[in-house]
Amino acid sequence: MKLKRTKLLVEPPASATSDIAFILIVFFLVCASVEPDKGRAQVLPRAEPEPQKDKQSQTIDVELTRNAVILNGNPLPPETFRKSIVLKLADKTRDEDKIVAVKSRKEVPYSHWMTVTGIIEDSGGIITLQLEEERTVQVK
Amino acid sequence: MIVRRKKLDASVPAMAMGDIAFLLLIFFVILARARDDSHLQWKPATGQELTRPTTMNASVVVDKYNVTYLNGREIPVGTLAEELKVLLGENPAGRRTVMMKVHHEVTAVYFEPVIEAVSEAGGELHHILEEEKNQR
Repeated sequence: MKLKRTKLLVEPPASATSDIAFILIVFFLVCASVEPDKGRAQVLPRAEPEPQKDKQSQTIDVELTRNAVILNGNPLPPETFRKSIVLKLADKTRDEDKIVAVKSRKEVPYSHWMTVTGIIEDSGGIITLQLEEERTVQVK
Repeated sequence: MIVRRKKLDASVPAMAMGDIAFLLLIFFVILARARDDSHLQWKPATGQELTRPTTMNASVVVDKYNVTYLNGREIPVGTLAEELKVLLGENPAGRRTVMMKVHHEVTAVYFEPVIEAVSEAGGELHHILEEEKNQR
């Protein structure tokens, strides 16, 4: 006499797959949101080809070199620059007097530029960028 | 004679759950990659008192190789202002935020024209920085 073996249905536990997939979703979302997204807002006036110079207002000139800051022609270390710019802006009441023209040399790194412009903004200055216009000169 | 009602098994089909969750996973991954610039190599400069922008309308990256990207796509700096104008459209002030991600060692010759382009397009700059650690 032959005894038939009952076939057992072997199925993977399906209820666990949703948990696995959900954990995967969380993992990918966390990975996607690791990038930094904090920073500093900066207000810059709209770019104009030629700056309108107000004869009555005297803008403060700041020139940046790779490591130093030149304020109205005087080279200053960063800690002295903060005090000087605060003093210069303290008595200015009109917005047009608070304009600080920032000119950077080509080799100035972004980190240095951000530090100095941050100091100017914290002191109440309004930053404008002085850019050198590119000109092509043909040599015969 | 009492006829007993058959009890029907009303369980939720758990097999489909995996498929649903997997489709959700694909949806979120695609959504995250739509404006993705995570593949770009840049290290932020440091700063203090940093804030999170309330809106984000465009993202400009200048990576460590001095290459400029708009929303993850490489772009020549010459056309950046025009592209930004299209992106920002007629958005009112407060909804014209441009996230600026510049590698900390990039020099002025590369990042200043980018800032100028954002300014020309009427964008509101938000420099992305890393919180400065106090060294005591």
